[in-house]
Amino acid sequence: MTANILDQVRGIASDLFAIPADRVKAESSPENIEAWDSTQHLNFVLALEEKFGLQLSPEEMEQMRSVGEAAKLIASKLQSGAQ
Amino acid sequence: MPIIIQPYREEHEQAVREFNQRLMANGGSDDLLFFTSAKPQWLPKTEGANLYQEFFLALDGEVMRGGYALKHQDFQFSDGTTRSIGYYHHPISEGVVDAKYATLGAMLLKDAMNRAPLLYCLGMGGYDRPLPKMLMRLGWSHFAVPFYFKVVRPNRFLREMQALRTSQLRKLALDFATFSGAGWAAIKAMQAFRRLGSTKPAAFQVDQVREFSDWTNALWEQARRHCTLTAVRNCQTLRTLYSPTETHLMRLRVRRAEQDIGWAVIGERRKDEKYGDLRVGSIVDCWAAPQEALAVVSAASSAAADLGMDLIVSNQSHQMWIRAFEQAGFVNSTSNFIFAAGKKLAALLDPFAENRTRFHFTRADGDGLPRNF
Repeated sequence: MTANILDQVRGIASDLFAIPADRVKAESSPENIEAWDSTQHLNFVLALEEKFGLQLSPEEMEQMRSVGEAAKLIASKLQSGAQ
Repeated sequence: MPIIIQPYREEHEQAVREFNQRLMANGGSDDLLFFTSAKPQWLPKTEGANLYQEFFLALDGEVMRGGYALKHQDFQFSDGTTRSIGYYHHPISEGVVDAKYATLGAMLLKDAMNRAPLLYCLGMGGYDRPLPKMLMRLGWSHFAVPFYFKVVRPNRFLREMQALRTSQLRKLALDFATFSGAGWAAIKAMQAFRRLGSTKPAAFQVDQVREFSDWTNALWEQARRHCTLTAVRNCQTLRTLYSPTETHLMRLRVRRAEQDIGWAVIGERRKDEKYGDLRVGSIVDCWAAPQEALAVVSAASSAAADLGMDLIVSNQSHQMWIRAFEQAGFVNSTSNFIFAAGKKLAALLDPFAENRTRFHFTRADGDGLPRNF
Protein backbone atom coordinates (compact mmCIF):
# COMPACT_ATOMS: atom_id res chain seq x y z
CA MET A 1 0.00 0.00 0.00
CA THR A 2 1.37 3.40 -0.85
CA ALA A 3 1.62 6.03 1.84
CA ASN A 4 -0.14 8.36 -0.55
CA ILE A 5 -3.33 6.29 -0.53
CA LEU A 6 -3.30 6.05 3.26
CA ASP A 7 -2.87 9.82 3.48
CA GLN A 8 -5.80 10.40 1.15
CA VAL A 9 -8.00 7.97 3.10
CA ARG A 10 -6.98 9.69 6.34
CA GLY A 11 -7.93 13.02 4.78
CA ILE A 12 -11.37 11.75 3.85
CA ALA A 13 -11.87 10.30 7.34
CA SER A 14 -10.74 13.56 8.89
CA ASP A 15 -13.25 15.60 6.87
CA LEU A 16 -16.10 13.17 7.34
CA PHE A 17 -15.70 12.47 11.04
CA ALA A 18 -14.69 16.06 11.79
CA ILE A 19 -11.45 15.28 13.57
CA PRO A 20 -7.99 16.77 12.93
CA ALA A 21 -6.01 14.85 10.29
CA ASP A 22 -3.09 14.29 12.64
CA ARG A 23 -5.39 12.36 14.97
CA VAL A 24 -6.51 9.96 12.23
CA LYS A 25 -4.23 6.92 12.27
CA ALA A 26 -4.25 3.68 10.31
CA GLU A 27 -5.71 2.07 13.45
CA SER A 28 -8.55 4.58 13.69
CA SER A 29 -11.86 2.74 13.59
CA PRO A 30 -15.46 2.88 14.81
CA GLU A 31 -14.07 1.68 18.14
CA ASN A 32 -12.16 4.90 18.75
CA ILE A 33 -13.98 7.48 16.58
CA GLU A 34 -17.30 8.29 18.13
CA ALA A 35 -18.85 9.75 14.97
CA TRP A 36 -18.10 6.59 12.96
CA ASP A 37 -21.45 4.80 13.07
CA SER A 38 -22.99 2.61 10.35
CA THR A 39 -24.44 5.52 8.37
CA GLN A 40 -21.17 7.45 8.51
CA HIS A 41 -19.42 4.26 7.46
CA LEU A 42 -21.55 4.23 4.32
CA ASN A 43 -20.75 7.93 3.77
CA PHE A 44 -17.06 7.05 4.17
CA VAL A 45 -17.33 4.26 1.59
CA LEU A 46 -19.18 6.52 -0.87
CA ALA A 47 -16.54 9.23 -0.43
CA LEU A 48 -13.77 6.69 -1.10
CA GLU A 49 -15.57 5.49 -4.23
CA GLU A 50 -15.84 9.03 -5.52
CA LYS A 51 -12.25 9.92 -4.69
CA PHE A 52 -10.70 6.81 -6.21
CA GLY A 53 -13.20 6.20 -9.01
CA LEU A 54 -14.13 2.65 -8.07
CA GLN A 55 -17.07 0.69 -6.73
CA LEU A 56 -17.07 -1.21 -3.46
CA SER A 57 -19.39 -4.07 -2.65
CA PRO A 58 -21.29 -4.27 0.64
CA GLU A 59 -19.07 -7.18 1.60
CA GLU A 60 -15.93 -5.07 1.00
CA MET A 61 -17.59 -2.30 2.96
CA GLU A 62 -17.80 -4.65 5.93
CA GLN A 63 -14.11 -5.56 5.65
CA MET A 64 -13.06 -1.95 6.10
CA ARG A 65 -12.96 -1.93 9.87
CA SER A 66 -10.29 0.76 10.17
CA VAL A 67 -8.70 3.53 8.14
CA GLY A 68 -5.71 1.29 7.45
CA GLU A 69 -7.88 -1.61 6.24
CA ALA A 70 -9.80 0.77 4.00
CA ALA A 71 -6.56 2.09 2.49
CA LYS A 72 -5.27 -1.45 1.99
CA LEU A 73 -8.44 -2.50 0.20
CA ILE A 74 -8.41 0.60 -2.02
CA ALA A 75 -4.76 0.00 -2.91
CA SER A 76 -5.50 -3.62 -3.76
CA LYS A 77 -8.48 -2.70 -5.94
CA LEU A 78 -6.54 0.02 -7.73
CA GLN A 79 -3.69 -2.38 -8.34
CA SER A 80 -5.95 -5.15 -9.68
CA GLY A 81 -7.76 -2.59 -11.82
CA ALA A 82 -4.49 -1.38 -13.29
CA GLN A 83 -3.36 -4.86 -14.25
CA MET B 1 -19.07 -16.22 8.35
CA PRO B 2 -19.25 -13.03 6.28
CA ILE B 3 -22.68 -11.81 5.27
CA ILE B 4 -23.33 -11.95 1.55
CA ILE B 5 -26.17 -10.18 -0.22
CA GLN B 6 -27.63 -12.11 -3.12
CA PRO B 7 -30.87 -12.57 -5.10
CA TYR B 8 -33.65 -14.30 -3.19
CA ARG B 9 -34.28 -17.76 -4.63
CA GLU B 10 -36.84 -20.41 -3.87
CA GLU B 11 -34.41 -22.44 -1.78
CA HIS B 12 -34.15 -19.47 0.63
CA GLU B 13 -37.85 -19.41 1.47
CA GLN B 14 -37.44 -21.52 4.61
CA ALA B 15 -34.66 -19.18 5.83
CA VAL B 16 -37.00 -16.23 5.29
CA ARG B 17 -39.77 -17.90 7.29
CA GLU B 18 -37.32 -18.54 10.13
CA PHE B 19 -36.11 -14.92 9.96
CA ASN B 20 -39.70 -13.67 10.21
CA GLN B 21 -40.32 -15.96 13.17
CA ARG B 22 -37.23 -14.65 14.98
CA LEU B 23 -38.35 -11.07 14.42
CA MET B 24 -41.87 -11.79 15.64
CA ALA B 25 -40.54 -13.66 18.68
CA ASN B 26 -38.43 -10.61 19.52
CA GLY B 27 -41.25 -8.12 19.36
CA GLY B 28 -41.38 -7.43 15.63
CA SER B 29 -44.63 -6.43 13.99
CA ASP B 30 -46.45 -7.74 10.92
CA ASP B 31 -45.34 -4.85 8.74
CA LEU B 32 -41.70 -5.77 9.41
CA LEU B 33 -41.93 -9.23 7.93
CA PHE B 34 -40.19 -10.10 4.68
CA PHE B 35 -41.79 -11.67 1.61
CA THR B 36 -42.18 -15.41 2.06
CA SER B 37 -42.23 -16.10 -1.67
CA ALA B 38 -39.05 -15.64 -3.69
CA LYS B 39 -41.08 -14.69 -6.74
CA PRO B 40 -42.75 -11.30 -6.24
CA GLN B 41 -46.53 -11.60 -6.41
CA TRP B 42 -46.67 -7.99 -7.56
CA LEU B 43 -44.64 -7.08 -10.68
CA PRO B 44 -42.52 -10.21 -11.05
CA LYS B 45 -39.69 -10.09 -13.57
CA THR B 46 -40.78 -11.26 -17.00
CA GLU B 47 -38.95 -11.51 -20.30
CA GLY B 48 -38.28 -8.05 -21.72
CA ALA B 49 -40.15 -6.21 -18.96
CA ASN B 50 -38.94 -2.77 -17.88
CA LEU B 51 -41.23 -2.69 -14.87
CA TYR B 52 -40.55 -5.41 -12.34
CA GLN B 53 -39.46 -6.18 -8.81
CA GLU B 54 -36.57 -8.18 -7.40
CA PHE B 55 -35.87 -9.30 -3.84
CA PHE B 56 -32.44 -9.63 -2.24
CA LEU B 57 -31.34 -11.35 0.94
CA ALA B 58 -28.39 -10.85 3.27
CA LEU B 59 -27.28 -14.36 4.12
CA ASP B 60 -24.99 -15.45 6.89
CA GLY B 61 -24.31 -18.93 5.51
CA GLU B 62 -27.78 -20.45 5.35
CA VAL B 63 -29.27 -17.96 7.79
CA MET B 64 -31.11 -14.86 6.61
CA ARG B 65 -30.10 -11.67 8.43
CA GLY B 66 -31.88 -9.12 6.25
CA GLY B 67 -33.34 -8.30 2.87
CA TYR B 68 -34.84 -5.65 0.64
CA ALA B 69 -36.94 -5.19 -2.50
CA LEU B 70 -36.03 -3.23 -5.59
CA LYS B 71 -38.59 -2.08 -8.14
CA HIS B 72 -37.23 -1.15 -11.56
CA GLN B 73 -39.25 1.27 -13.63
CA ASP B 74 -38.75 3.64 -16.56
CA PHE B 75 -38.99 7.32 -15.72
CA GLN B 76 -39.05 10.31 -17.99
CA PHE B 77 -36.78 13.23 -17.10
CA SER B 78 -37.13 16.94 -17.90
CA ASP B 79 -35.03 16.67 -21.07
CA GLY B 80 -37.44 14.07 -22.43
CA THR B 81 -35.06 11.15 -21.94
CA THR B 82 -36.22 7.93 -20.33
CA ARG B 83 -34.10 6.03 -17.82
CA SER B 84 -34.72 3.02 -15.65
CA ILE B 85 -34.52 3.94 -11.98
CA GLY B 86 -34.74 1.80 -8.87
CA TYR B 87 -37.17 2.12 -5.98
CA TYR B 88 -35.69 0.73 -2.76
CA HIS B 89 -38.29 -0.62 -0.38
CA HIS B 90 -38.97 -3.07 2.43
CA PRO B 91 -35.42 -3.02 3.80
CA ILE B 92 -35.35 -5.14 6.90
CA SER B 93 -32.52 -6.41 9.03
CA GLU B 94 -31.98 -8.44 12.14
CA GLY B 95 -30.44 -5.24 13.48
CA VAL B 96 -33.92 -4.20 14.65
CA VAL B 97 -33.80 -6.92 17.29
CA ASP B 98 -30.06 -7.68 17.62
CA ALA B 99 -27.46 -4.90 17.81
CA LYS B 100 -24.84 -7.28 16.41
CA TYR B 101 -26.39 -6.64 13.00
CA ALA B 102 -26.71 -2.87 13.35
CA THR B 103 -24.54 -2.20 10.28
CA LEU B 104 -26.65 -4.37 8.02
CA GLY B 105 -29.09 -1.59 7.11
CA ALA B 106 -26.26 0.41 5.52
CA MET B 107 -24.98 -2.71 3.72
CA LEU B 108 -28.40 -3.40 2.22
CA LEU B 109 -28.70 0.16 0.97
CA LYS B 110 -25.18 0.02 -0.51
CA ASP B 111 -26.06 -3.16 -2.34
CA ALA B 112 -29.14 -1.49 -3.83
CA MET B 113 -27.08 1.57 -4.83
CA ASN B 114 -24.67 -0.71 -6.68
CA ARG B 115 -27.46 -2.56 -8.47
CA ALA B 116 -29.50 0.57 -9.28
CA PRO B 117 -27.27 3.66 -9.16
CA LEU B 118 -30.29 5.89 -9.86
CA LEU B 119 -32.21 5.10 -6.70
CA TYR B 120 -35.14 6.56 -4.81
CA CYS B 121 -37.26 5.79 -1.79
CA LEU B 122 -40.92 6.72 -1.36
CA GLY B 123 -43.33 6.52 1.55
CA MET B 124 -41.33 5.35 4.55
CA GLY B 125 -43.88 6.41 7.17
CA GLY B 126 -42.46 9.79 8.14
CA TYR B 127 -39.20 11.60 8.85
CA ASP B 128 -38.91 10.11 12.32
CA ARG B 129 -38.42 6.56 10.98
CA PRO B 130 -34.93 4.98 10.76
CA LEU B 131 -34.67 4.79 6.96
CA PRO B 132 -35.42 8.46 6.20
CA LYS B 133 -33.15 9.46 9.07
CA MET B 134 -30.33 7.51 7.46
CA LEU B 135 -31.07 8.95 4.00
CA MET B 136 -30.99 12.50 5.36
CA ARG B 137 -27.56 11.85 6.88
CA LEU B 138 -26.42 10.47 3.54
CA GLY B 139 -27.37 13.75 1.91
CA TRP B 140 -30.27 12.47 -0.19
CA SER B 141 -32.56 15.12 -1.66
CA HIS B 142 -36.08 14.84 -0.30
CA PHE B 143 -39.52 16.28 0.36
CA ALA B 144 -42.84 15.11 1.75
CA VAL B 145 -45.34 14.41 -1.05
CA PRO B 146 -48.41 16.47 -0.07
CA PHE B 147 -51.40 14.59 1.31
CA TYR B 148 -54.94 15.66 0.46
CA PHE B 149 -58.27 14.53 1.81
CA LYS B 150 -61.92 15.27 1.23
CA VAL B 151 -64.65 14.33 3.65
CA VAL B 152 -67.73 12.95 1.89
CA ARG B 153 -69.75 12.12 5.00
CA PRO B 154 -68.81 14.56 7.77
CA ASN B 155 -70.78 12.92 10.58
CA ARG B 156 -69.27 9.49 10.01
CA PHE B 157 -65.84 11.13 9.69
CA LEU B 158 -66.21 12.83 13.08
CA ARG B 159 -67.49 9.65 14.75
CA GLU B 160 -65.03 7.17 13.25
CA MET B 161 -61.78 8.99 12.59
CA GLN B 162 -59.67 7.48 15.37
CA ALA B 163 -56.68 9.72 14.65
CA LEU B 164 -58.82 12.67 15.83
CA ARG B 165 -60.36 10.91 18.82
CA THR B 166 -57.19 10.72 20.86
CA SER B 167 -58.54 11.79 24.27
CA GLN B 168 -61.82 11.66 26.16
CA LEU B 169 -62.18 15.42 25.83
CA ARG B 170 -61.67 15.35 22.07
CA LYS B 171 -64.14 12.46 21.75
CA LEU B 172 -66.75 14.47 23.65
CA ALA B 173 -66.11 17.54 21.51
CA LEU B 174 -66.33 15.54 18.29
CA ASP B 175 -69.51 13.77 19.43
CA PHE B 176 -71.04 17.14 20.26
CA ALA B 177 -70.01 18.47 16.84
CA THR B 178 -71.57 15.42 15.20
CA PHE B 179 -74.91 15.49 16.96
CA SER B 180 -75.32 19.25 16.91
CA GLY B 181 -74.60 19.43 13.20
CA ALA B 182 -71.81 21.95 13.82
CA GLY B 183 -69.15 19.52 12.63
CA TRP B 184 -70.99 18.82 9.40
CA ALA B 185 -71.33 22.54 8.73
CA ALA B 186 -67.69 23.27 9.58
CA ILE B 187 -66.31 20.56 7.31
CA LYS B 188 -68.57 21.49 4.43
CA ALA B 189 -67.63 25.16 4.87
CA MET B 190 -63.93 24.37 4.95
CA GLN B 191 -64.12 22.34 1.76
CA ALA B 192 -66.29 24.94 0.07
CA PHE B 193 -63.77 27.61 1.05
CA ARG B 194 -61.06 25.67 -0.78
CA ARG B 195 -63.17 25.76 -3.92
CA LEU B 196 -63.68 29.54 -3.76
CA GLY B 197 -62.42 31.27 -6.86
CA SER B 198 -62.08 28.07 -8.85
CA THR B 199 -64.12 27.62 -11.96
CA LYS B 200 -66.15 24.47 -12.36
CA PRO B 201 -64.74 22.22 -15.06
CA ALA B 202 -66.70 22.07 -18.30
CA ALA B 203 -68.99 19.05 -18.55
CA PHE B 204 -67.20 15.75 -18.97
CA GLN B 205 -68.10 12.11 -19.30
CA VAL B 206 -66.66 9.33 -17.13
CA ASP B 207 -66.58 5.65 -18.01
CA GLN B 208 -65.27 2.80 -15.97
CA VAL B 209 -63.01 0.67 -18.18
CA ARG B 210 -61.94 -2.91 -17.60
CA GLU B 211 -58.41 -2.15 -18.73
CA PHE B 212 -56.43 0.71 -20.16
CA SER B 213 -55.76 0.56 -23.88
CA ASP B 214 -54.13 2.50 -26.71
CA TRP B 215 -56.09 5.72 -26.12
CA THR B 216 -53.90 6.36 -23.05
CA ASN B 217 -50.79 6.71 -25.23
CA ALA B 218 -52.04 9.96 -26.77
CA LEU B 219 -52.68 11.37 -23.30
CA TRP B 220 -49.21 10.31 -22.17
CA GLU B 221 -47.69 12.14 -25.14
CA GLN B 222 -49.80 15.26 -24.55
CA ALA B 223 -48.98 15.73 -20.89
CA ARG B 224 -45.54 14.28 -20.26
CA ARG B 225 -43.71 17.49 -21.16
CA HIS B 226 -45.33 19.14 -18.14
CA CYS B 227 -43.35 16.90 -15.79
CA THR B 228 -39.70 17.20 -14.80
CA LEU B 229 -39.86 13.62 -13.52
CA THR B 230 -42.55 11.02 -13.88
CA ALA B 231 -42.82 7.27 -14.15
CA VAL B 232 -43.72 6.42 -17.73
CA ARG B 233 -47.49 6.17 -17.85
CA ASN B 234 -48.12 4.81 -21.32
CA CYS B 235 -50.57 2.07 -22.18
CA GLN B 236 -48.11 -0.77 -21.66
CA THR B 237 -47.17 0.45 -18.16
CA LEU B 238 -50.77 1.08 -17.16
CA ARG B 239 -51.78 -2.40 -18.27
CA THR B 240 -49.04 -3.84 -16.08
CA LEU B 241 -49.81 -1.71 -13.03
CA TYR B 242 -53.58 -1.83 -13.34
CA SER B 243 -54.27 -5.11 -15.07
CA PRO B 244 -57.88 -6.34 -15.15
CA THR B 245 -56.95 -8.94 -12.51
CA GLU B 246 -56.54 -6.08 -10.02
CA THR B 247 -60.27 -6.09 -9.37
CA HIS B 248 -59.97 -3.93 -6.26
CA LEU B 249 -59.02 -0.95 -8.43
CA MET B 250 -61.34 1.05 -10.67
CA ARG B 251 -60.01 2.54 -13.91
CA LEU B 252 -61.72 5.69 -15.11
CA ARG B 253 -61.64 7.14 -18.62
CA VAL B 254 -62.55 10.80 -18.70
CA ARG B 255 -63.79 12.35 -21.95
CA ARG B 256 -65.37 15.50 -23.25
CA ALA B 257 -67.12 15.69 -26.59
CA GLU B 258 -65.78 12.25 -27.51
CA GLN B 259 -62.21 13.37 -26.87
CA ASP B 260 -60.11 11.71 -24.18
CA ILE B 261 -58.97 14.25 -21.62
CA GLY B 262 -57.51 12.06 -18.86
CA TRP B 263 -57.71 8.99 -16.70
CA ALA B 264 -57.68 8.09 -13.03
CA VAL B 265 -57.41 4.99 -10.89
CA ILE B 266 -59.33 4.79 -7.63
CA GLY B 267 -59.58 2.12 -4.96
CA GLU B 268 -60.85 1.50 -1.46
CA ARG B 269 -58.12 1.31 1.15
CA ARG B 270 -57.87 -1.65 3.44
CA LYS B 271 -59.16 -1.14 6.94
CA ASP B 272 -56.74 0.81 9.07
CA GLU B 273 -57.29 1.43 12.77
CA LYS B 274 -56.59 5.16 12.43
CA TYR B 275 -59.64 5.44 10.16
CA GLY B 276 -61.90 3.30 12.37
CA ASP B 277 -64.83 1.94 10.36
CA LEU B 278 -64.64 4.66 7.73
CA ARG B 279 -64.70 3.62 4.11
CA VAL B 280 -61.64 5.33 2.72
CA GLY B 281 -61.29 5.78 -1.01
CA SER B 282 -58.04 6.72 -2.62
CA ILE B 283 -57.31 8.49 -5.88
CA VAL B 284 -54.35 6.24 -6.49
CA ASP B 285 -53.16 7.67 -9.78
CA CYS B 286 -54.23 10.21 -12.39
CA TRP B 287 -53.07 11.74 -15.64
CA ALA B 288 -54.14 14.67 -17.81
CA ALA B 289 -52.88 17.84 -19.41
CA PRO B 290 -52.89 20.80 -16.97
CA GLN B 291 -56.11 22.34 -18.24
CA GLU B 292 -57.97 19.07 -17.65
CA ALA B 293 -56.57 18.11 -14.24
CA LEU B 294 -59.55 19.56 -12.35
CA ALA B 295 -62.00 17.62 -14.51
CA VAL B 296 -60.13 14.37 -13.81
CA VAL B 297 -59.97 15.02 -10.06
CA SER B 298 -63.68 15.89 -10.02
CA ALA B 299 -64.50 12.73 -11.98
CA ALA B 300 -62.44 10.52 -9.68
CA SER B 301 -63.78 12.17 -6.56
CA SER B 302 -67.40 11.78 -7.67
CA ALA B 303 -66.82 8.13 -8.60
CA ALA B 304 -65.35 7.43 -5.16
CA ALA B 305 -68.26 9.16 -3.46
CA ASP B 306 -70.74 7.18 -5.57
CA LEU B 307 -69.05 3.98 -4.38
CA GLY B 308 -69.99 4.94 -0.83
CA MET B 309 -66.65 6.22 0.44
CA ASP B 310 -66.78 8.38 3.58
CA LEU B 311 -63.38 9.93 3.00
CA ILE B 312 -61.22 10.31 -0.12
CA VAL B 313 -57.46 10.66 0.11
CA SER B 314 -54.60 11.18 -2.29
CA ASN B 315 -50.90 12.01 -2.36
CA GLN B 316 -49.77 14.35 -5.13
CA SER B 317 -46.45 16.02 -5.76
CA HIS B 318 -47.03 17.97 -9.00
CA GLN B 319 -48.13 21.58 -8.54
CA MET B 320 -50.71 21.21 -11.28
CA TRP B 321 -52.41 18.31 -9.47
CA ILE B 322 -52.10 20.03 -6.11
CA ARG B 323 -53.96 23.01 -7.55
CA ALA B 324 -56.61 20.76 -9.07
CA PHE B 325 -57.20 18.88 -5.80
CA GLU B 326 -57.52 22.14 -3.90
CA GLN B 327 -59.93 23.51 -6.47
CA ALA B 328 -61.96 20.32 -6.10
CA GLY B 329 -62.32 20.99 -2.36
CA PHE B 330 -59.59 18.73 -1.03
CA VAL B 331 -57.76 19.83 2.11
CA ASN B 332 -54.05 19.46 2.72
CA SER B 333 -52.81 17.67 5.82
CA THR B 334 -49.53 16.40 7.25
CA SER B 335 -47.83 13.92 4.98
CA ASN B 336 -45.69 10.98 6.00
CA PHE B 337 -45.18 9.99 2.35
CA ILE B 338 -41.61 11.01 1.67
CA PHE B 339 -39.75 11.06 -1.61
CA ALA B 340 -35.96 10.82 -1.35
CA ALA B 341 -33.53 10.65 -4.26
CA GLY B 342 -30.01 9.29 -4.02
CA LYS B 343 -27.22 11.65 -5.04
CA LYS B 344 -26.78 10.25 -8.55
CA LEU B 345 -30.48 10.55 -9.28
CA ALA B 346 -30.68 13.99 -7.63
CA ALA B 347 -27.85 15.21 -9.88
CA LEU B 348 -30.09 14.54 -12.89
CA LEU B 349 -32.90 16.48 -11.25
CA ASP B 350 -30.90 19.60 -10.57
CA PRO B 351 -32.01 22.24 -9.54
CA PHE B 352 -33.94 19.88 -7.29
CA ALA B 353 -35.86 22.50 -5.27
CA GLU B 354 -37.17 24.12 -8.42
CA ASN B 355 -37.84 20.97 -10.43
CA ARG B 356 -39.53 19.00 -7.68
CA THR B 357 -42.73 21.04 -8.00
CA ARG B 358 -43.23 19.31 -11.35
CA PHE B 359 -42.37 15.76 -10.29
CA HIS B 360 -45.43 13.55 -10.68
CA PHE B 361 -45.54 11.11 -7.78
CA THR B 362 -48.66 9.45 -6.46
CA ARG B 363 -49.41 6.44 -4.28
CA ALA B 364 -49.02 4.33 -7.40
CA ASP B 365 -45.30 5.01 -7.49
CA GLY B 366 -44.62 3.36 -4.17
CA ASP B 367 -45.26 -0.15 -2.96
CA GLY B 368 -48.75 0.74 -1.82
CA LEU B 369 -50.85 -0.98 -4.45
CA PRO B 370 -50.70 -4.48 -2.97
CA ARG B 371 -50.20 -3.30 0.61
CA ASN B 372 -52.96 -0.78 0.92
CA PHE B 373 -55.77 -1.96 -1.36
